[in-house]
Amino acid sequence: MIHFDPASAVRLLDTCSAGIVLVGILVAGTRSIGRAIWLVAAQALLLAVATFGVGVATHSLHLMVGSLFTIAVRGVAMPLILGRILRASAVRVERNPFLNPRLSLIAAIVIVFAAALAMDNIALGGPLDAPRVLPAAVAEVLTGLLIAMTRRKSLSIVVGLLVFENGLALAAFSLTYGMPFVVELGAAFDLLMVIVVAAVYSRRMLTVFGTLSTDELRSLRG
Amino acid sequence: MNEVAVAILALAPLLGGLAVWRMSGRRAELIAEISLGVTAVAALGLASVGLAGGRLVAFAGLISIDALGAYVLSLTAIVACLAMAASPRYIRHELAAGALLPQVEGRYYALFLWFVASLVAVPIVDNLGLLWVAIEATTVVSAMLVGITRTPEAIEAAWKYLILGTVGVGFALLGTLLAYASSVHLLGDSSDAMNWTRLMAIAPSLNPSLLRLSFVFALAGYGTKIGLVPFHTWLPDAHSQAPSPVSALLSGVSISAALYALIRFHLVAAAGLGPNFSSTLLIAFGLLSLAVALPFLVRQEDVKRLLAYSSIEHMGLLVLGVGFGGPLALLGVILHLALHAITKATLFISAGELVQQYGSRRLSRIRGTLASAPAAGGAFGAGIVLLGGLPPSGIFVTEFAIVVGGMMAGYLLAASVAAVLLALSFAALAFHGSRLLWGRTPSGVAVVRAGRGMALRLAVPLLAVALLGLWTPSPLADTLNYVRVVLAVHGG
Repeated sequence: MIHFDPASAVRLLDTCSAGIVLVGILVAGTRSIGRAIWLVAAQALLLAVATFGVGVATHSLHLMVGSLFTIAVRGVAMPLILGRILRASAVRVERNPFLNPRLSLIAAIVIVFAAALAMDNIALGGPLDAPRVLPAAVAEVLTGLLIAMTRRKSLSIVVGLLVFENGLALAAFSLTYGMPFVVELGAAFDLLMVIVVAAVYSRRMLTVFGTLSTDELRSLRG
Repeated sequence: MNEVAVAILALAPLLGGLAVWRMSGRRAELIAEISLGVTAVAALGLASVGLAGGRLVAFAGLISIDALGAYVLSLTAIVACLAMAASPRYIRHELAAGALLPQVEGRYYALFLWFVASLVAVPIVDNLGLLWVAIEATTVVSAMLVGITRTPEAIEAAWKYLILGTVGVGFALLGTLLAYASSVHLLGDSSDAMNWTRLMAIAPSLNPSLLRLSFVFALAGYGTKIGLVPFHTWLPDAHSQAPSPVSALLSGVSISAALYALIRFHLVAAAGLGPNFSSTLLIAFGLLSLAVALPFLVRQEDVKRLLAYSSIEHMGLLVLGVGFGGPLALLGVILHLALHAITKATLFISAGELVQQYGSRRLSRIRGTLASAPAAGGAFGAGIVLLGGLPPSGIFVTEFAIVVGGMMAGYLLAASVAAVLLALSFAALAFHGSRLLWGRTPSGVAVVRAGRGMALRLAVPLLAVALLGLWTPSPLADTLNYVRVVLAVHGG
């Protein structure tokens, strides 16, 4: 087993968490859907690096394997699937979201500071004493919701959902030792299926409405 | 032996689904029916231990089926069979009408089987993380079924369902992680630290603040899948846009499976924190759901949305009853869960018939069904009467038990409000139902004489529900009691 001491693992984890938060802010602030997709993939890679580092430091094989799932589903499959839909559509940017990207950027920064303040000094019995991970996770969960709720294009909503999911994954191993292996496997499979089904419906929206805009989706009421 | 049964339970629908994906016609129907039959037999076989008050454990504790799990598992199998039996007739009609593309027929049966596979996984896994994986899988697979007709409305409903369902269930994952974290100081990194049986055993020493937070997230998360107000907005869309046999599965068992998940969290939380915290939240959200569903029932224009809002109402009642606790209310909840699932599934199937015959979902157009569609119309009318809880319906007995049980448990106000809301929602259902049965049939609607097969499929489940109001066979009474013991949080 490679030697990697827990103190460096904590440093790696903290650095990656900071990177994940930073990328989350950039996703909130970008208009380009293509860039948002790649940023979320980059965020997942940071997540995988952090998971792998902790896996090595705690000699936990399932965390190391889990990081490979993260790369496969969130880092590779996701941008490929969503990228295909994007290329099939005429849309390139989020034209008029409910909250414009500059305000989203500011809102995301506020979320990060609020999460850091609210989560200050909450000590949990995770494997490593890395106090900045949980606030980062909470910030990403909220930033993801912010993006999903304020965008109109289906792909942007999926991007928000993935930021949300990255936050959940970060929470998973800041709160605990990572989930048991079968759960990790099942969760990765579920997420892949969510992305595939979202892609299927985005394509149907393109066929039926000629657009990826969810503005068309408002006939069901009452 | 148990391992073999679990493997059959999982593999029959999964492989059957793979086999029918590219098939069509009678062959697809037959393979799907056989796979589902095998699944149902495996499910009932596995459930038999739990139904008799025991606990079945398999795969080194990965699978654990107690009375509650066995009950939900058998219910899932029964309703899945009802929905499958109604599928060929429904799907053939949709294909003939051009509402479904011909190549979609096999996929419908494949997705149906996979949906069932995810549903039967819910009540048998011991691990709360796997429970979450199973519930999330039900969302993904059923979202594909909801939008299978590819109409703009169906796409809208499926999209909302997928996104809201995933976000909602994401919160349930947070709840699951927090439950796990609340045990870390005791169990450490052991692989069974996420098992609810393990958490129940050490509940009093779990970290209380994490446990509280865990229940709140589980309530919001699984509450979304149950359709609790205010997390319900996707439900009327998805349940009304889905093909009717799928609506039957969604409203019959999918939301019941999510309720099962929430109940597991409630039991862990109540064992760790005392019953008050989670019970109070359940009562509040249950009442809110009952109250908010009512105006939508009254002013409803769409027959399938009417049934969907009624599901929100009944889930509210069930959550309320779990919150009440106490032996009488819990017995009511347990039987009500099954009766609602069976009645609602049959109602959706008969509503599907009527919608196809009338070419419309609008209640203002579907009139005079007793004359034009004696079987489907009669079943719909009888179903509404049973669902509304008019004696001798079994639902009258269960609703009565929940309300009176709530009063006996000391929740006089909440139980009285619930009783009034139930009466009003029955009035709303009866109003819509009577116009649907006896109004004037619009011109151009052909009279449909149903075959004996369909009449039986509709009549048998409804007769069972009616009969259970008068008489409970003693094995069933025993089972209800075993489940009640699992659900009891104050030892009652």
